[in-house]
Amino acid sequence: MILSDQEVQFFVNTLKNASGYDFSEYSEKSLKRRLQKILIDNNSDLLSLINKIKTNKEFLEQTVKDITVNTTELFRDPQIWQTLRYRILPKFSENRNINIWHAGCSTGQEVYSMMILLNELGLLEKAKIFASDLNTDALAAAKKGNYKYRFNIGYLDNFDKVIKENPYNYEEYNDVAYSKYFRIDKVTDSIQMNDFLRQKPIFRQHDLVQGGNLYFAKFDLILCRNVIIYFKYSLQNKVFKLFHYHLYTNGYLVLGMHETMLGEITSKFEKKGQAYRKK
Amino acid sequence: MYKAVVIGGSAGSFQVITKILSSLPKNFPLPVLLSLHRLKHVRSGFVEALSIKSTIPIVEPYDKENIKPGRGYLAPANYHMYIELNKRIALSTEEPVNHYRPSIDLTFETAAQAYRDKLIGIILSGANRDGAYGLKKLKQAGGVAIVQDPNECQVKTMTEASLKLTTVDHIFSTDQIIQYLLKLK
Repeated sequence: MILSDQEVQFFVNTLKNASGYDFSEYSEKSLKRRLQKILIDNNSDLLSLINKIKTNKEFLEQTVKDITVNTTELFRDPQIWQTLRYRILPKFSENRNINIWHAGCSTGQEVYSMMILLNELGLLEKAKIFASDLNTDALAAAKKGNYKYRFNIGYLDNFDKVIKENPYNYEEYNDVAYSKYFRIDKVTDSIQMNDFLRQKPIFRQHDLVQGGNLYFAKFDLILCRNVIIYFKYSLQNKVFKLFHYHLYTNGYLVLGMHETMLGEITSKFEKKGQAYRKK
Repeated sequence: MYKAVVIGGSAGSFQVITKILSSLPKNFPLPVLLSLHRLKHVRSGFVEALSIKSTIPIVEPYDKENIKPGRGYLAPANYHMYIELNKRIALSTEEPVNHYRPSIDLTFETAAQAYRDKLIGIILSGANRDGAYGLKKLKQAGGVAIVQDPNECQVKTMTEASLKLTTVDHIFSTDQIIQYLLKLK
């Protein structure tokens, strides 16, 4: 099933007219691939899909969910978490509150990683954790905090690197038990986050394309990792402006390992690796 | 007249890749797009290892990075690397394709759409079929399809799958690949 650019455009326009979802500034290649995959999975052609989107609200919502990519891990890219642990979070230790927004939190692994790290630093109590995603199925999974074990054994390696070891001091070793934060059940093949973590975040559906102030709050830290790679440059810049507006001065925006800010917006931030400090 | 070279291979082709990259002139006129499978737990260090031997700079690109001649772009661990029509890199964490992320097929297919008949594609030694479909798309778009001689490969699966699917332009040894690239203007 090979779609032309015009056909993708047709789909985007239909979706936009039938709902509030606007994919017109999504990166072409991945959007086309997602759409092709949806057609194959539904054993459908584009015209039937488009007709169904127009008439069936539930199907439309499902299609939008299928377009979004939900890849994530516990402590994905440990070096970013090491930067957060040793370079960024300590700056907020004297704050009365720490407001953190996970924009595009997917199935929640990043949110749990943050809460675990905050707890180890003694900062969890003063933190307010906000987490949003476009995909309500992903949000429901995030609230559950239940993940496959065998498929995700890498989570434990990442946990060890960030929580147990110190890359700046190889002699340091914090023997933190996994059970402090989650239960591993090999029989049911699951990792279940503990309740005191699950109850903490405020999860909300939110579409970064729409902008708007989701929480009526400003933030000390915004994490948005491997989300903007699906956006065109123009939309990336709109989202960066949104984040800039919602950050306190000296607050940080953290992007994914291979994401970067380009253009004039860069003058409003100081870049340190994958972290951008609002000037 | 060519605008880019795209190379696919798996972890076992590391030595061939380094030999090719160490033989290129410093002012090699084209960008080199590298989509290589890695061992599951080796996420970092690969680009550094390639850089030590390579004469041209090798980077794991950022999303939306502009592709420039005389540079090597290595698909980052755990990301698909697409080439957009405007000759920028686009990264994606979509699910693995045929168990692989990066997928060689995806890099080749999108590079073929971007560069059409101005693209040279090279498939090296590998233990799976990834790349065969991408090389076919590259050939269909008018590009030059090159496959490393399976007799020279430690593992022939990738090259043989490519040869089965596509009538390629050249079946080359590593040295012939290098000679071919050195003649490019």
